[in-house]
Amino acid sequence: MDFSASYRGADGVTHGHNYELEVTVSGKVDPATGMVVDLKDLKELMEREIEARFDHRSLSDDTPYFRDRAPTPETFAELIFQLLDKALPDHSLYRIRLSPTRDLTVEVTR
Amino acid sequence: MIRLVRRCDFSAAHVLARPEWSDEHNRRVYGKCANPAGHGHNYTAELCFEGPLDPRTGRLLDPARLDALLRERVVGPLDGRFLNRDVPVFGRTVPTAENIARHIWDTLAGGVSPARLVGVRLIETRNNSVEYDGGEDSA
Repeated sequence: MDFSASYRGADGVTHGHNYELEVTVSGKVDPATGMVVDLKDLKELMEREIEARFDHRSLSDDTPYFRDRAPTPETFAELIFQLLDKALPDHSLYRIRLSPTRDLTVEVTR
Repeated sequence: MIRLVRRCDFSAAHVLARPEWSDEHNRRVYGKCANPAGHGHNYTAELCFEGPLDPRTGRLLDPARLDALLRERVVGPLDGRFLNRDVPVFGRTVPTAENIARHIWDTLAGGVSPARLVGVRLIETRNNSVEYDGGEDSA
């Protein structure tokens, strides 16, 4: 999924990115559906947990998560992993990859 | 576990041939890549790092330091070069994608403490890439 957000950097200047987020879940293939996860459910969960919280927001000012730490790609990726991990069935989240730019990706696994 | 992957691009020319082999032998082993006039690629290198986040900055590696290191050790020495002639290590080893990936590993691995280099992915063409994790790979 893609979303856009801004933040205040160390210099106090606000800037933003189009973030690209890749979510990988793992688990057994349901014998009835042939799916690991219902992609429609996963999409709705990502919209609720990530897009609704962060899209077109300032991470620094419009969310409570970065009051005492900087929203670096690393800390933001860790937060996204925690939010999705809490919302998904036990241990089904395998990996997230967050790319603020084409040349930078942060990957979080358990 | 958190990893940071940084991508950088460079363009370079190479010839795949061993000087001690005959032209015919090189042609047999390396095919059209052995053309003595050389040919070039737009390479993309993806460097993967692991390590602790600095609790003050929330970063695994300082981006300015990392980019300076990539400019100094990867892009600067390789971009716009004829690898066989301009980069000393490739006077001794054939600049295959495998050897270029290993060279990038060797040149970066010592420079990123307290982070660790854990992977080099070198993309030579859209159909051909090499991954190297620093493991033993000698024949």
